[in-house]
Amino acid sequence: MTDKKIIKNVTNIIEGLGQNPNSESVTILEDIGTNSKVDAIRELTSRALVKRNEHDSLKVVITNKGKGINDMSTIVAMSTINELLSLEDKTEAMKVLTDTVEKHSDEEVRDNARSVKALMALS
Amino acid sequence: MANLSIPSIRERIFNTSKHEQTTQRSSNPFAASSFKGNVLTADVFESSTKQSHPAFTGKLKASALVGSISGIGERFQNFINSVVKFGIRAKESVVNGWNKLEGIEISFNPLREKMSSAYNSVKEIMSTPISEIFSKGISSKQVAKMEDMTEARALLADNVALWEAAA
Repeated sequence: MTDKKIIKNVTNIIEGLGQNPNSESVTILEDIGTNSKVDAIRELTSRALVKRNEHDSLKVVITNKGKGINDMSTIVAMSTINELLSLEDKTEAMKVLTDTVEKHSDEEVRDNARSVKALMALS
Repeated sequence: MANLSIPSIRERIFNTSKHEQTTQRSSNPFAASSFKGNVLTADVFESSTKQSHPAFTGKLKASALVGSISGIGERFQNFINSVVKFGIRAKESVVNGWNKLEGIEISFNPLREKMSSAYNSVKEIMSTPISEIFSKGISSKQVAKMEDMTEARALLADNVALWEAAA
Protein backbone atom coordinates (compact mmCIF):
# COMPACT_ATOMS: atom_id res chain seq x y z
CA MET A 1 0.00 0.00 0.00
CA THR A 2 1.59 3.22 -1.21
CA ASP A 3 1.67 6.11 1.23
CA LYS A 4 -0.93 8.75 0.36
CA LYS A 5 1.61 11.48 0.96
CA ILE A 6 3.96 10.04 -1.69
CA ILE A 7 1.13 9.74 -4.20
CA LYS A 8 0.08 13.32 -3.48
CA ASN A 9 3.65 14.59 -3.85
CA VAL A 10 4.21 12.81 -7.19
CA THR A 11 0.84 14.00 -8.46
CA ASN A 12 1.62 17.60 -7.51
CA ILE A 13 5.13 17.50 -8.99
CA ILE A 14 3.90 16.10 -12.33
CA GLU A 15 1.03 18.62 -12.41
CA GLY A 16 3.40 21.45 -11.56
CA LEU A 17 5.90 20.46 -14.23
CA GLY A 18 3.07 20.33 -16.75
CA GLN A 19 2.33 23.99 -15.90
CA ASN A 20 5.96 25.10 -15.68
CA PRO A 21 6.78 27.37 -18.65
CA ASN A 22 10.32 26.03 -18.91
CA SER A 23 10.57 23.58 -21.85
CA GLU A 24 13.00 21.48 -19.80
CA SER A 25 10.02 20.30 -17.76
CA VAL A 26 8.79 18.29 -20.80
CA THR A 27 12.11 16.49 -20.98
CA ILE A 28 11.95 15.74 -17.24
CA LEU A 29 8.47 14.33 -17.55
CA GLU A 30 9.47 12.22 -20.55
CA ASP A 31 12.62 10.88 -18.95
CA ILE A 32 11.21 10.05 -15.52
CA GLY A 33 7.41 9.98 -15.75
CA THR A 34 6.75 8.11 -19.00
CA ASN A 35 9.47 5.55 -18.27
CA SER A 36 8.18 4.66 -14.80
CA LYS A 37 7.22 1.06 -14.12
CA VAL A 38 4.12 2.25 -12.27
CA ASP A 39 1.09 2.59 -14.57
CA ALA A 40 -0.43 5.37 -12.49
CA ILE A 41 2.72 7.50 -12.81
CA ARG A 42 2.79 7.00 -16.59
CA GLU A 43 -0.89 7.88 -16.76
CA LEU A 44 -0.43 11.05 -14.72
CA THR A 45 2.58 12.06 -16.85
CA SER A 46 0.81 11.47 -20.17
CA ARG A 47 -2.22 13.49 -19.11
CA ALA A 48 -0.01 16.35 -17.91
CA LEU A 49 1.84 16.39 -21.24
CA VAL A 50 -1.43 16.46 -23.21
CA LYS A 51 -2.86 19.30 -21.02
CA ARG A 52 0.26 21.32 -21.76
CA ASN A 53 -0.92 21.24 -25.40
CA GLU A 54 2.44 22.09 -26.95
CA HIS A 55 4.05 20.51 -29.99
CA ASP A 56 6.91 18.87 -28.06
CA SER A 57 4.74 17.60 -25.24
CA LEU A 58 2.15 16.16 -27.67
CA LYS A 59 4.88 14.48 -29.71
CA VAL A 60 5.98 12.55 -26.61
CA VAL A 61 2.58 10.90 -26.10
CA ILE A 62 1.71 10.43 -29.81
CA THR A 63 4.88 9.45 -31.69
CA ASN A 64 6.79 7.36 -29.12
CA LYS A 65 6.22 3.64 -29.05
CA GLY A 66 5.26 2.41 -25.58
CA LYS A 67 4.26 5.90 -24.36
CA GLY A 68 0.98 7.80 -24.27
CA ILE A 69 -1.51 6.46 -26.80
CA ASN A 70 0.95 3.68 -27.66
CA ASP A 71 1.42 2.50 -24.06
CA MET A 72 1.19 -1.20 -23.35
CA SER A 73 -1.27 -0.48 -20.55
CA THR A 74 -4.78 -0.04 -21.92
CA ILE A 75 -5.65 2.24 -19.02
CA VAL A 76 -2.76 4.58 -19.77
CA ALA A 77 -3.47 4.59 -23.53
CA MET A 78 -7.21 5.17 -23.13
CA SER A 79 -6.66 7.85 -20.50
CA THR A 80 -4.28 9.68 -22.86
CA ILE A 81 -6.75 9.44 -25.74
CA ASN A 82 -9.54 10.72 -23.47
CA GLU A 83 -7.38 13.70 -22.49
CA LEU A 84 -6.70 14.44 -26.17
CA LEU A 85 -10.43 14.36 -26.90
CA SER A 86 -11.04 16.77 -24.00
CA LEU A 87 -8.77 19.48 -25.41
CA GLU A 88 -10.57 22.69 -26.30
CA ASP A 89 -8.00 23.62 -28.93
CA LYS A 90 -7.17 20.47 -30.88
CA THR A 91 -5.23 22.19 -33.65
CA GLU A 92 -1.73 21.25 -32.50
CA ALA A 93 -2.76 17.71 -31.58
CA MET A 94 -4.29 17.16 -35.05
CA LYS A 95 -1.14 18.48 -36.69
CA VAL A 96 1.07 16.06 -34.71
CA LEU A 97 -1.31 13.18 -35.42
CA THR A 98 -1.32 13.96 -39.15
CA ASP A 99 2.48 14.07 -39.27
CA THR A 100 2.66 10.78 -37.37
CA VAL A 101 0.19 9.06 -39.72
CA GLU A 102 2.07 10.29 -42.76
CA LYS A 103 5.70 10.10 -41.70
CA HIS A 104 6.26 7.73 -38.76
CA SER A 105 8.32 4.64 -39.50
CA ASP A 106 6.45 2.24 -37.19
CA GLU A 107 3.17 0.91 -38.60
CA GLU A 108 1.57 0.27 -35.21
CA VAL A 109 2.27 3.88 -34.20
CA ARG A 110 0.77 5.12 -37.49
CA ASP A 111 -2.36 2.97 -36.99
CA ASN A 112 -2.86 4.23 -33.44
CA ALA A 113 -2.39 7.83 -34.57
CA ARG A 114 -4.90 7.29 -37.42
CA SER A 115 -7.54 5.90 -35.03
CA VAL A 116 -7.10 8.73 -32.54
CA LYS A 117 -7.21 11.28 -35.35
CA ALA A 118 -10.52 9.81 -36.54
CA LEU A 119 -11.93 9.99 -33.03
CA MET A 120 -10.84 13.60 -32.66
CA ALA A 121 -12.35 14.51 -36.01
CA LEU A 122 -15.69 13.08 -34.86
CA SER A 123 -15.61 14.75 -31.42
CA MET B 1 -92.50 87.26 66.67
CA ALA B 2 -92.02 87.14 70.44
CA ASN B 3 -94.86 88.12 72.74
CA LEU B 4 -93.63 91.12 74.78
CA SER B 5 -96.74 91.81 76.81
CA ILE B 6 -96.43 92.23 80.61
CA PRO B 7 -98.26 89.03 81.59
CA SER B 8 -96.21 86.95 79.28
CA ILE B 9 -92.97 88.44 80.61
CA ARG B 10 -94.07 87.81 84.12
CA GLU B 11 -94.95 84.26 83.29
CA ARG B 12 -91.50 83.68 81.82
CA ILE B 13 -89.75 85.10 84.85
CA PHE B 14 -91.66 83.11 87.40
CA ASN B 15 -92.39 79.94 85.49
CA THR B 16 -89.08 78.93 83.95
CA SER B 17 -89.70 75.21 83.80
CA LYS B 18 -92.29 75.68 81.11
CA HIS B 19 -89.84 77.63 79.02
CA GLU B 20 -87.05 75.08 79.58
CA GLN B 21 -89.12 72.34 78.11
CA THR B 22 -89.43 74.39 75.02
CA THR B 23 -85.74 75.20 74.76
CA GLN B 24 -84.69 71.57 75.32
CA ARG B 25 -85.96 70.66 71.88
CA SER B 26 -83.42 73.01 70.36
CA SER B 27 -79.94 71.81 69.45
CA ASN B 28 -78.49 75.16 70.53
CA PRO B 29 -76.45 74.56 73.71
CA PHE B 30 -76.54 78.27 74.60
CA ALA B 31 -80.24 78.63 74.28
CA ALA B 32 -81.13 77.83 77.94
CA SER B 33 -78.25 79.56 79.65
CA SER B 34 -77.64 82.73 77.70
CA PHE B 35 -80.58 83.66 75.66
CA LYS B 36 -83.18 81.66 77.53
CA GLY B 37 -84.45 80.35 74.25
CA ASN B 38 -86.61 83.36 73.65
CA VAL B 39 -84.91 84.93 70.76
CA LEU B 40 -82.92 82.16 69.13
CA THR B 41 -85.37 79.33 68.99
CA ALA B 42 -84.16 78.07 65.63
CA ASP B 43 -80.94 76.14 65.05
CA VAL B 44 -78.54 78.79 63.74
CA PHE B 45 -75.52 76.46 63.40
CA GLU B 46 -75.07 74.97 59.98
CA SER B 47 -74.44 71.31 59.69
CA SER B 48 -71.03 70.29 58.39
CA THR B 49 -72.65 67.86 55.98
CA LYS B 50 -74.42 70.62 54.13
CA GLN B 51 -71.16 72.17 52.87
CA SER B 52 -69.95 68.95 51.22
CA HIS B 53 -73.05 68.60 49.12
CA PRO B 54 -73.87 71.98 47.59
CA ALA B 55 -77.05 72.20 45.65
CA PHE B 56 -76.68 73.33 42.06
CA THR B 57 -78.99 76.19 42.07
CA GLY B 58 -78.49 79.48 40.34
CA LYS B 59 -76.68 80.60 37.19
CA LEU B 60 -73.28 80.99 38.87
CA LYS B 61 -73.21 77.41 40.08
CA ALA B 62 -74.44 76.12 36.73
CA SER B 63 -71.74 78.03 34.91
CA ALA B 64 -69.18 76.66 37.36
CA LEU B 65 -70.41 73.15 36.63
CA VAL B 66 -70.14 73.69 32.90
CA GLY B 67 -66.65 75.12 33.33
CA SER B 68 -65.59 72.16 35.36
CA ILE B 69 -66.97 69.77 32.74
CA SER B 70 -65.18 71.60 29.97
CA GLY B 71 -62.03 71.53 32.08
CA ILE B 72 -62.33 67.78 32.41
CA GLY B 73 -62.69 67.51 28.64
CA GLU B 74 -59.54 69.59 28.13
CA ARG B 75 -57.61 67.49 30.58
CA PHE B 76 -58.90 64.36 28.87
CA GLN B 77 -57.87 65.81 25.50
CA ASN B 78 -54.42 66.58 26.88
CA PHE B 79 -54.23 63.05 28.21
CA ILE B 80 -55.14 61.64 24.78
CA ASN B 81 -52.61 63.94 23.11
CA SER B 82 -49.92 62.78 25.49
CA VAL B 83 -50.82 59.18 24.75
CA VAL B 84 -50.65 59.85 21.00
CA LYS B 85 -47.29 61.59 21.42
CA PHE B 86 -46.06 58.69 23.47
CA GLY B 87 -47.17 56.31 20.72
CA ILE B 88 -45.38 58.38 18.08
CA ARG B 89 -42.22 58.45 20.18
CA ALA B 90 -42.47 54.71 20.73
CA LYS B 91 -42.91 54.13 17.00
CA GLU B 92 -39.92 56.34 16.21
CA SER B 93 -37.89 54.48 18.79
CA VAL B 94 -38.86 51.17 17.26
CA VAL B 95 -38.00 52.37 13.74
CA ASN B 96 -34.69 53.80 14.89
CA GLY B 97 -33.98 50.62 16.77
CA TRP B 98 -34.73 48.56 13.68
CA ASN B 99 -32.41 50.72 11.59
CA LYS B 100 -29.72 50.36 14.22
CA LEU B 101 -30.21 46.61 14.23
CA GLU B 102 -29.85 46.53 10.46
CA GLY B 103 -26.70 48.62 10.74
CA ILE B 104 -25.34 46.32 13.38
CA GLU B 105 -26.10 43.28 11.27
CA ILE B 106 -24.31 44.78 8.23
CA SER B 107 -21.34 45.80 10.32
CA PHE B 108 -21.13 42.31 11.73
CA ASN B 109 -21.11 40.58 8.32
CA PRO B 110 -17.30 40.64 7.95
CA LEU B 111 -16.96 39.29 11.44
CA ARG B 112 -19.38 36.51 10.60
CA GLU B 113 -17.39 35.67 7.45
CA LYS B 114 -14.15 35.65 9.41
CA MET B 115 -15.70 33.45 12.04
CA SER B 116 -16.96 31.13 9.32
CA SER B 117 -13.55 30.91 7.67
CA ALA B 118 -11.92 30.41 11.05
CA TYR B 119 -14.38 27.61 11.77
CA ASN B 120 -13.61 26.01 8.40
CA SER B 121 -9.88 26.30 9.03
CA VAL B 122 -10.24 24.67 12.42
CA LYS B 123 -12.43 21.96 10.91
CA GLU B 124 -9.86 21.32 8.17
CA ILE B 125 -7.03 21.14 10.69
CA MET B 126 -9.02 18.81 12.93
CA SER B 127 -9.62 16.41 10.03
CA THR B 128 -5.97 16.48 8.94
CA PRO B 129 -3.46 14.07 10.47
CA ILE B 130 -0.83 15.66 12.74
CA SER B 131 2.02 14.56 10.42
CA GLU B 132 0.47 16.45 7.50
CA ILE B 133 -0.03 19.62 9.54
CA PHE B 134 3.67 19.98 10.24
CA SER B 135 4.82 18.82 6.78
CA LYS B 136 2.54 20.38 4.17
CA GLY B 137 4.18 18.42 1.30
CA ILE B 138 4.84 19.68 -2.22
CA SER B 139 2.29 21.83 -3.98
CA SER B 140 1.80 21.96 -7.75
CA LYS B 141 1.99 25.79 -7.69
CA GLN B 142 5.38 25.56 -6.01
CA VAL B 143 6.70 23.24 -8.76
CA ALA B 144 5.10 25.29 -11.54
CA LYS B 145 7.14 28.32 -10.41
CA MET B 146 10.44 26.48 -10.02
CA GLU B 147 13.29 27.91 -12.09
CA ASP B 148 15.99 25.42 -11.12
CA MET B 149 15.04 22.46 -13.35
CA THR B 150 17.84 20.30 -11.93
CA GLU B 151 16.15 20.54 -8.56
CA ALA B 152 12.79 19.81 -10.18
CA ARG B 153 14.19 16.72 -11.89
CA ALA B 154 15.68 15.45 -8.61
CA LEU B 155 12.44 16.12 -6.80
CA LEU B 156 10.39 14.08 -9.29
CA ALA B 157 12.98 11.30 -9.48
CA ASP B 158 13.12 10.92 -5.68
CA ASN B 159 9.37 10.80 -5.22
CA VAL B 160 8.82 8.45 -8.18
CA ALA B 161 11.51 6.18 -6.71
CA LEU B 162 9.67 6.20 -3.36
CA TRP B 163 6.40 5.27 -5.10
CA GLU B 164 8.02 2.53 -7.15
CA ALA B 165 9.72 1.14 -4.05
CA ALA B 166 6.40 1.00 -2.20
CA ALA B 167 4.51 -0.51 -5.14
